[in-house]
Amino acid sequence: MKGVRRFGSILCGLLVWQIIAAKINDTSLIVSPWVVVAKGYEMLFQTAELYPHLYASSWIFFYGFLLAIILGVPLGFIMALSPLVRDYVNPWMTMLYTTPRIAFAPVILLWFGISGGSKVAIVFLGCIFPILINSYYGMRAVNREFVELARSFRLSRWALFFKILLPASVPFILAGVRLSIGRGLTGVAIAEWFGATEGLGYMIFFAGQTLNIPTLFVGVATFALLGILAFEIIRKIEDYAVPWRKRLQAE
Amino acid sequence: MAGPVLELRNLSREIPRQTGDPFVVFKNINLTVRDGEFVSIVGPSGCGKTTLLRVINGLLPPSSGQIFVDSREFKETDSELLMGFVFQGASLLPWRTSLKNILLGLEGQRKNPKEAQEIARRYLELVGLSGFENHYPHELSGGMQQRVNLARALAVEPKILLMDEPFAALDAQTRTFMQLELLRIWSRAKKTVIFVTHMISEAILLSDRVVVFSHRPGQIRSEFAVPFTRPRDMDIKSDKRFVELENTVWKQIEEEVKLTGGFAQM
Repeated sequence: MKGVRRFGSILCGLLVWQIIAAKINDTSLIVSPWVVVAKGYEMLFQTAELYPHLYASSWIFFYGFLLAIILGVPLGFIMALSPLVRDYVNPWMTMLYTTPRIAFAPVILLWFGISGGSKVAIVFLGCIFPILINSYYGMRAVNREFVELARSFRLSRWALFFKILLPASVPFILAGVRLSIGRGLTGVAIAEWFGATEGLGYMIFFAGQTLNIPTLFVGVATFALLGILAFEIIRKIEDYAVPWRKRLQAE
Repeated sequence: MAGPVLELRNLSREIPRQTGDPFVVFKNINLTVRDGEFVSIVGPSGCGKTTLLRVINGLLPPSSGQIFVDSREFKETDSELLMGFVFQGASLLPWRTSLKNILLGLEGQRKNPKEAQEIARRYLELVGLSGFENHYPHELSGGMQQRVNLARALAVEPKILLMDEPFAALDAQTRTFMQLELLRIWSRAKKTVIFVTHMISEAILLSDRVVVFSHRPGQIRSEFAVPFTRPRDMDIKSDKRFVELENTVWKQIEEEVKLTGGFAQM
């Protein structure tokens, strides 16, 4: 039933798109979804020109995302466990979190050059905050009774962390990781708009400049599919790692 | 007669306040518990009985007074595991199966894993949950969760078992059934138990001795020896002595409640 509804919803959306495209009837503004599908097919299987862009964007996303997890989770934990670190890091975190990342992009490009490094850094900046903040709150929100339980059993601090605090935080961390996907992909697009020669962001930007509407839409759709794919992977991991309760809603 | 396994001497707990006198939770508690004895603490709500249990377990420090276990002074910083605590909520770790929940306490004891598994299985069987080793807490009923909770506290083979209203969250039928189960389990495990409850009949049914707390700041108002031999069953609840004892204890608690401003304050 759920599957039918979802499929129906997508079908309706495409239909609306088709109707609007037919009404406007100007292929320099919007093309019908079937033209986009045809163009995507062509770019994938005939000219194969999508692959280098997809490949470049995927790697940038993957590295930035992974780096954000590797650094964000432990930093969130340390902040949760040490009031000292929390007090020092908090103002910076709030500042960096609320500043639009696009404002950082030119500076980062200036510093790191137009290499992959600066793009990864932009993606990293997008991903790290949801992960860090969720790891932090996840660890602080651990049921007090569980902590008392550990104390009552005279568990060591080490055991308290690994047997109680860490597993209790996992659902929060994964929710943060899920949230960071969208922000990471936005980072990819931003990074590739500023001085790049390949990547989906570059492709979209270039197609927009040259009024190549079908290619532009293929780029957007590819971003969407990448996001959905990453989202589904995290969901599978959640199903496996957190079987005992429903997923925390992304908020 | 066995010697005291637990002795509380002038135990008090107060919480300092920014202004005025400290908030006294309970004061001058003197209690001696024999090895293997089942002692219940009853009293009006907010009389500090749960806090007392936490202080005994070392979860909270006392403000003054001492705790002796087997004639040795016990401090909340001691790392030796002497007591098992059965929390009011089952507080089972949701990411662990019932068997692994029971193993939690044993893991802190540096037992070898195989031996620990055997002990955990034995206690799961004792509480009547063989076959539920691999069930997660959310797959168990409230009564079953409390059984796991009890098994987890027993599995570390503590000298003293502290139980904080363990059946309070259960429905009346399950509660009665769990009381009988506790009688059965206790007769086999032979542990010293301190049992906090607000249900007088539960206290009498289970205990050798019932301790009545005053209103806050909690003090021991009186103690009653329960005149029934073991094994016991539900029939003793209709015994004249049971009903009389229940009434006596109830009258005392009622008086204590009136002193705090009556039932409307509860």
